[in-house]
Amino acid sequence: MALAMASIGEKRVITKLHGKDDIIRHLQDLGFTPGSEVQVLGQNLAGMILMVKGVRVALSRGLANKIMVD
Amino acid sequence: MSVRIALAGNPNSGKTTLFNALTGSNQFVGNWPGVTVEKKEGKLKGYPDVTVMDLPGIYSLSPYTLEEVVARNYLLGEHPDVILNIVDGTNLERNLYLTTQLMELGIPVVMAVNMLDIVEKNGDQIYIDKLSEQLGCKAIQISALKGKGIKEAADLAVRAVSQKQAVVHKFDKKVEEALSDIESALGNEIPEDQKRFFAIKLFERDDKIAGQMKKVPDVESIIAKVEESMDDDSESIITNERYVYISSVIGKCLKKAKRGELSLSDKIDQIVTNRFLALPIFAIVMWIVYYISVTSVGTIATDWTNDVLFGEIIPPAIENVLVSVGCAEWLQGLILDGIVGGVGAVLGFVPQMLVLFLFLAFLESCGYMARIAFIMDRIFRKFGLSGKSFIPMLIGTGCGVPGVMASRTIENDRDRKMTIMTTTFVPCGAKLPIIALIAGALFGGASWVAPSAYFVGIGAIICSGIILKKTKMFAGDPAPFVMELPAYHMPTVGNVLRSMWERGWSFIKKAGTIILLSAIVLWFLQGYGFGPDGFGAVELEDSILAAIGNTFAWVFTPLGWTQGGEGWKMAVAAVTGLIAKENVVTTFGILFGFAEVAEDGVEIWGNLAGCMTAAAGYSFLVFNLLCAPCFAAMGAIKREMNNAKWFWFAIGYQCGLAYCVSLIIYQIGTLLSGGQVNILGLIVAALMIAAFIWLLLRPNRDDGKLRVNMKGMAGA
Repeated sequence: MALAMASIGEKRVITKLHGKDDIIRHLQDLGFTPGSEVQVLGQNLAGMILMVKGVRVALSRGLANKIMVD
Repeated sequence: MSVRIALAGNPNSGKTTLFNALTGSNQFVGNWPGVTVEKKEGKLKGYPDVTVMDLPGIYSLSPYTLEEVVARNYLLGEHPDVILNIVDGTNLERNLYLTTQLMELGIPVVMAVNMLDIVEKNGDQIYIDKLSEQLGCKAIQISALKGKGIKEAADLAVRAVSQKQAVVHKFDKKVEEALSDIESALGNEIPEDQKRFFAIKLFERDDKIAGQMKKVPDVESIIAKVEESMDDDSESIITNERYVYISSVIGKCLKKAKRGELSLSDKIDQIVTNRFLALPIFAIVMWIVYYISVTSVGTIATDWTNDVLFGEIIPPAIENVLVSVGCAEWLQGLILDGIVGGVGAVLGFVPQMLVLFLFLAFLESCGYMARIAFIMDRIFRKFGLSGKSFIPMLIGTGCGVPGVMASRTIENDRDRKMTIMTTTFVPCGAKLPIIALIAGALFGGASWVAPSAYFVGIGAIICSGIILKKTKMFAGDPAPFVMELPAYHMPTVGNVLRSMWERGWSFIKKAGTIILLSAIVLWFLQGYGFGPDGFGAVELEDSILAAIGNTFAWVFTPLGWTQGGEGWKMAVAAVTGLIAKENVVTTFGILFGFAEVAEDGVEIWGNLAGCMTAAAGYSFLVFNLLCAPCFAAMGAIKREMNNAKWFWFAIGYQCGLAYCVSLIIYQIGTLLSGGQVNILGLIVAALMIAAFIWLLLRPNRDDGKLRVNMKGMAGA
């Protein structure tokens, strides 16, 4: 399912990233690699706040829709 | 032997703090990713032949934003003697990802694991010797903030120079084979020790690396073979292998203490980024900042300096001194009317700016800035900008120059250009005096004038966003929002005060240099000219300045400035405002003789009110808020646009928009306030309003007719 559908507090493992090459590269550099665990820390209309590899990252909802988790 | 040390690391890992500690300089340290957008050089304390280079933060050597390009180009092109890699000890895993790449550059790397104080507070344990051994580079734990381990880190770096950097980490065998095939395909132009780096980048299909090479070998077949056998794209293979390797290193070198589920930062975020509370909280924060610095405390401070310090105390004191030493009358005139009247009018606003800068420094260094960008993203996207555009604008309320430069963190080229064009619409510190002057002189100090200036600025940004986004050159979606959110921390008093003072000091310096010079030139031009007896001291109306002003004052007739018969003064003020916005008030100070009558502020304001209606005054204010900014900010726009055509388009757009909006305000304002209406002017205003509405409401992606319009306006 898409990461955007996870709710606050949930921990999920990333399976795949969709989207343009450069944004996927940037997400991977930030730590969003397949196999990594993400935790949803916050959600609002703008997007999500996630914890990945010990870092807090804010993502727009559109991007959270392109990250697949198990 | 001279040595160059480059500081490289993730954004917000403490590079600038370390740079300040190493070199004794005073660069501002903020708490959001992207504070440093340009490299900065300094001398290492105690080593006269060692220079330290502070680079913008990077997540990897595949740049995503412009400031990351600055860092990569320096590391690759300038080839520093040693890289001091700052690693955030509280977040080893993500930080070491960059480290593994830096070690492939063929430059000796020394690792400084920063934030020792926080690591210890968290109860974590980093086995630094083990880490050093695992990664194959010297490593040391430091706390840049507390000054621990700094000197040792610098010593290690200096000693590492000219040592060969071994690459300990190897990829999968298939990848390594492909890499050595690519390496042998590389020409001789690539130095031997950089070959591995170039090979990896080519393997990843990095599109920017080709620009750095004269001859790019065709390696597609090599890559495709590996991708097929490993069933993944080449880039993901490399990224994954790096992270797997890092996990194995960290497993041996880091012992993490058990921690509660949510940290304090997370708890704060649950409130300030909350679905319902985020925007109200943001509005309240902004209101407090500008209420205190612009309306209440700031005004009190400004009134005191203007009325008492530069009214009752300084001018009479200087006059007494001048009279007692028997100073020539013309020199007295220059000093009292020109310098004290002109420069004093500007310096009076320094206390107010200091209050504003204090708040900005606090916002920038506590960690809220990145959250603001996040919560504003959804709103800004509606008119074609990204949430990251908000940071330049917020900084721009202090000064437009760093504001324009802060736009580098915006990934998308179109969003960035649009942000550069619109950032200076927000009233900067130097425009506050103009606002105060117009509010006091024409609106009896009404409290709505200052906030309205900010609304005009924000309105201009929103409308420009919508209008420009519909043109061909800006069409397309903004880059999706991704931003690391740093942990909140209480800013240090020293850092906040230093930032406040530095920005304030640059205003004072400006008052002492460019504004002083302008004041002297203006004083001469307004006092001298060709009178009945040839060249000499003349009445104001016969002066050179009046002659110059009158030649182009007609341009501003539709804006209502010339109505009182003294429009040339307004025209001159607006033009000197292009040099520095403070000059507007300086010019009025000289032309209306502020210094002579400074004890009685009302009288001067009366002078100004006598030659402008309220509608004309507001049109004058809006013109100065929106038109091209000062020389310094125009220079910043030119640098950031890096293209003459784009620069002139930005300046033309700003001036054209300022002219149209001011015209509309004057014509409609005159109509509404029952003044003398000019039918032609009103028709033009109505046409312009119609054009604006059409530009705002027309369907998306229409062809760029706007550009044609704007060129015509800029010439007016």
